[in-house]
Amino acid sequence: MDLGAGQTEAGEFTLLLEFDMDMAGFTSNWSYCDRLSTYFARMISHNRSDSLLYSNLFSSALNELLETVYRLHAPTGSFVCSVSRNGAKDRIALTIPVDTETEGFYRDAVVVLNGGDVSPRYHNALFSDGPLQPNIGLLELAVDYAACFSIEPADGNAIRLIAELTLEASAP
Amino acid sequence: MIAEKLVQTYKVSFDQNNQELALAGSMRPQRAAEMADCVKLLETSLASIRGTFYVNVKRLVRLNNVAFHSLAGALLKAAEERPDIKITIITSSVIGWSTKKFGTLTAKNPKIVVEEYDSEFYPGQAFLEEGGFVPVLRTQTKLTWKHERAILPRHGLEPGMTMADICCGIGDFAVLVAKEFSPSRIVALDHSKSSLAYARQVASEFDIGGIEYIYGDAAEMLLEDGQFDFVSCRHALQIFNKPEMIVNELVRICKPGGRVYVTNEKISQCLGEPRGPSIEWTYEQLSKLFADFDMDLEFGPKSYQALQRAGLEDLRIESFMVTNRDGDAQAFADMIMAWEEMFAGGMSEKRGDDAAFVEKFRRGFEDHIAAALHPGGYAGWPVWVASGRKPR
Repeated sequence: MDLGAGQTEAGEFTLLLEFDMDMAGFTSNWSYCDRLSTYFARMISHNRSDSLLYSNLFSSALNELLETVYRLHAPTGSFVCSVSRNGAKDRIALTIPVDTETEGFYRDAVVVLNGGDVSPRYHNALFSDGPLQPNIGLLELAVDYAACFSIEPADGNAIRLIAELTLEASAP
Repeated sequence: MIAEKLVQTYKVSFDQNNQELALAGSMRPQRAAEMADCVKLLETSLASIRGTFYVNVKRLVRLNNVAFHSLAGALLKAAEERPDIKITIITSSVIGWSTKKFGTLTAKNPKIVVEEYDSEFYPGQAFLEEGGFVPVLRTQTKLTWKHERAILPRHGLEPGMTMADICCGIGDFAVLVAKEFSPSRIVALDHSKSSLAYARQVASEFDIGGIEYIYGDAAEMLLEDGQFDFVSCRHALQIFNKPEMIVNELVRICKPGGRVYVTNEKISQCLGEPRGPSIEWTYEQLSKLFADFDMDLEFGPKSYQALQRAGLEDLRIESFMVTNRDGDAQAFADMIMAWEEMFAGGMSEKRGDDAAFVEKFRRGFEDHIAAALHPGGYAGWPVWVASGRKPR
């Protein structure tokens, strides 16, 4: 696994931190979702107005994205997670190896997330019987964190799922 | 590399006396089955109570949807099957996400309510945190800093250290430390949102970067163990009714080998001449007034024992006297003037003191001001400094 930080420009966003990892390595241990989201959150929160609060919120949001990727991906390929910043907005970009089925999941999910208020879907998913719906983390980000989602093709059999978050407004 | 120690689990405990289930830590399981023990404790706890069942998630820092789904299912089931009970979930705004997340349960069943416990942190101290007191706090720090900048190195503060200033108030001490000692990291925490807003504004106006102002409860901080070389807590143990809880937290976040530094007053020892007896009487009354509001302004010399009881070693204690002869008699007088308004005005009135008492009470402050500004006068405000090293 590589962890890097730099000043590479990503449009108007400045890259803060990026890691890439073989998907088989990432999915070998569930706790990587927790550890990576916590590590990322700590590293990028120091200069927010309340670093601890921001870190808690960011970790929660990123963890849900990582857990989604952990469950839904193609078996091989490289997984890349980067965080870039533009003022109050942070952009999480996840490059996910996909097959036809998983690509369909992410594309359908983004259509739903951008199709209007998804609060009812999220609340239904939270209290549904049986196993959790696989898109619950994405719904949570859209509802509780007002995340804006987009999706674009990436090199090889991969897609790039992008979530933009403005969490500072939540700070006390 | 991601260190193994970043892995965190959660703790669940049930307090029968308070009918409270407390969840703390990080709860991010992969499968619902991993929640089985927790859900079982929740169910057996619910079966043993009557009336209100409390679920304390103030220190539940992380929770994924797998865990929430399991907890929510058990709580909703109990709320539906037990018409005799009410469920109160106690969240903390410090966590950020928890009030909203658990609030979804209320929409499903109004018998489940969510209370954000820190929405009115320490209401008894509100009068110390209102906007009008800010200039006084700034003056106090200005006056004490003349002494503390020389004292701090004797208690172990060195440039480049990682430091936390707990109960930072308006954050001016953190700014002064940042300028004088250039810490590699400085975190300043307080439970007053208005004070923190002021602190951030001052830091921004003076282009002082690098101070992390954090909102939180000093008695239950979410900062992790063993992070800081130097942990300060100034003039705060004396205004909390359970100072030992805060001291334990200061020690917890301090690195082994690092030092905890506290300052406190013994307000009855304020002095002045001329008119010493009047001044002495007023400050004895001031001490009693604070005691009536569960605050111990006599804490200064007790600091040593408080640090000793918390298991610190290499204890050091000293005192200094802020006086009108330090070079700014007017600032000293301004501070006492503000105290008079705050204490003889606001607090004494709130206690219900009669006019004769208030008049005499005020006279002592006025005599203290007069002593400070008198060409031959001497006026003092003593402060105790204590520190101790956390065992390695």
